[in-house]
Amino acid sequence: MQFALDEDRALLARSTRELLAKEAPLATNRQIMESEPAGYSRALFKQLGELGYPSLLLTEEQGGLGAVAFAAVLHEMGRVALPGPFLDLALAIKVLAGSTSDAAKKCLTKASAGEALVVLARNESLTTGDAGAPTATFSSGTVRGVKRFVPFGLQADALIVETTGGLVLVPKPATGWNAKAMPTIDHAQRFAEVTLDAPGTLLCEGEAACQAIGESDQLGALGASALLLGLMERALEITVAYTMERKAFGGPIAGFQALQHRAADMLLQTESARASVYRAAFAAEHQPEQAAYLVAVAKAWAGPAARLVCGEAIQMHGGVGFTWEYDPHVYLKRVKTLEQFYGSTRAQLEHALQSKGW
Amino acid sequence: MDLRFTPEQEKFRAEVRGWLAANLTRPWSQEARDPKHDANSLVELRRAWQKKLHAAGYLGMGWAPEWGGRGASEVEEAILQEELYRADAPQIPNFLGISLLGPALIHHGSEEQRRRFIPKMLDGSEIWCQGFSEPGSGSDLASLRARAEPDGEHFRIFGQKVWTTFGPWADWIFVLARTDMEDRYGGITFFLMPIAQKGVEMRGIRQITGESEFGEVFFDGGLARREHIVGKIGEGWKVAMTLLGYERGGSTLAYPAEYDRYLGGLAAGLSENGLMDRADVREKLGRLVVDNEVMRGNGMRNLANIASGNAPGPESSIEKIFWSEYAKRLTDTALDLLGPQAQLLDTQPGARADVNWAYEFLWTRAGTIYSGSSEIQRNIIAKRVLRMPTK
Repeated sequence: MQFALDEDRALLARSTRELLAKEAPLATNRQIMESEPAGYSRALFKQLGELGYPSLLLTEEQGGLGAVAFAAVLHEMGRVALPGPFLDLALAIKVLAGSTSDAAKKCLTKASAGEALVVLARNESLTTGDAGAPTATFSSGTVRGVKRFVPFGLQADALIVETTGGLVLVPKPATGWNAKAMPTIDHAQRFAEVTLDAPGTLLCEGEAACQAIGESDQLGALGASALLLGLMERALEITVAYTMERKAFGGPIAGFQALQHRAADMLLQTESARASVYRAAFAAEHQPEQAAYLVAVAKAWAGPAARLVCGEAIQMHGGVGFTWEYDPHVYLKRVKTLEQFYGSTRAQLEHALQSKGW
Repeated sequence: MDLRFTPEQEKFRAEVRGWLAANLTRPWSQEARDPKHDANSLVELRRAWQKKLHAAGYLGMGWAPEWGGRGASEVEEAILQEELYRADAPQIPNFLGISLLGPALIHHGSEEQRRRFIPKMLDGSEIWCQGFSEPGSGSDLASLRARAEPDGEHFRIFGQKVWTTFGPWADWIFVLARTDMEDRYGGITFFLMPIAQKGVEMRGIRQITGESEFGEVFFDGGLARREHIVGKIGEGWKVAMTLLGYERGGSTLAYPAEYDRYLGGLAAGLSENGLMDRADVREKLGRLVVDNEVMRGNGMRNLANIASGNAPGPESSIEKIFWSEYAKRLTDTALDLLGPQAQLLDTQPGARADVNWAYEFLWTRAGTIYSGSSEIQRNIIAKRVLRMPTK
């Protein structure tokens, strides 16, 4: 047994951390969140594409490196609260790679290279983050329906739309999307409501579509859990560092047991998430019979854990934790998206229960 | 990264399962509620079980063969414990001797001490208890005041120890006492002494469960031989810390296996009561399932780290907080959801037969206090992992 990453994956994690430290430190990311209309750095995503990051989930022949490497990369992206559709793009690429149609192959090449943004458009409801059965239709080559909370829908070059007739690839019409922004509290993830009446190419239907969606759900939950791990890990680090610097009553406030015990609980949440996320990633790669259950466990833990840790980060910063200037709120806001979407906590608890046969 | 067991380890697991199927005739929870038993007959049953385990070579497995072990790895040790808990086997009466004192003797004891004490410890003919905590020294163990006065070939021990688990049935006690009243750490010495002697009085303490598994010990000049000091005079704290490291590093996979059994009992009860379709019930049960699995993941990570040659560090504090707090949460939720039936004493015919919920609900209140309370564990995490300063 060994928990540490092997050499290749450890190297990938290290070089990803270095790349993000240089190209996407939190200060830069916050500027992009607040003033870049696209909501993310296209230049960085181009660079990530050139380095092969969006294809990590594909088979080794297709340039992938597996679920553990994928988790390690998203873990790093979580630490800097990287704005943008990286997870959504990786999930779309995985779906595209499973299709044999020419349109999918062309789209896959561009998306993998970071030259085109493709995302899944599945949710329709305003009241649940779980996609549920679609009402959007696909007939005579045309997709019709309204999709909500489409990640970076306004910026996408193509959407993979979940319809009653299967998964359909819809390129952006020449006139642009009929879409409006759905800003939420999370500046790192832009959403859109997209009204579709557009031609598309069927990628898969029936059993194959179910399978692709199931796989995407699982990898999405794993990826979101890894992002949550990175977010809470970093939020804990900056919080402990702040309590060491901030002085009151004649010393650093880190010396107060009330804060020490809260920080200890934050560490318990974070380390438990680390064990769960990498265990789930390992299962997704090597133990397929356990993967669905362990991914559900990881996501059901990581969401509430990250909310607790990032919420405590604000509280332990005191008044400045409530200011826009300081960073803790960026982490908490990001957590809320990842907690609701990619398989809500409630859905994952149910999933875990059903895996037990209950 | 690899979280799988090796084929050899899986083979060992199969061997243990086969042995348990052939040798464990009745699960402990059934045995414990049988009206034919009293506290003493249950201890004898546990002693007989210990003898069986010993004969099969499952006790002190990690020790060298000359001390009755088979040089087994931590992973095999963890697999054994996991299977014992899964099968609901009785706990051996000499768990304190074997899991704590044994390793301390192997690390710090003399050759004569090992030869004298280890064989009888393993076969259950001498049961050990621990004399560490005092009425005024619980979590702050180093503040202990029991004193040892030299008297020829002996030391005479004066003072009081408390929370001596299994004390009422123990033959010997390992005691921390002061050979220097001033030096906080360097004044502590580790003594081994028999309980049945003048100047040592053991009394049972009635616990909130109604049983008296703990004791308190009064020392009024009881004798400990010089040759039964473990380590040197003044090295008691060091020996105790080695030993407590074993206490915290031990049963990484055992608790999740036990709680899986409880969860199975809870799910069965909820099904029978027609509650398994209720969304609020499902969410609560789902949370317990998830948290237990997370606990198992933590254990596997720690085990993998130990197997890769990293010593167990203060991260084991996380494990301690996790299982003890979880056990309270689990039993709280079970009693809420199962209703008053779960509060029936297990001797009542209407009580649920699979898990003794009423007892477990009470017993789990102890886990967050003993062997380093949750607060002490949080102090350890804050200071040794997060490096937050001492005021």
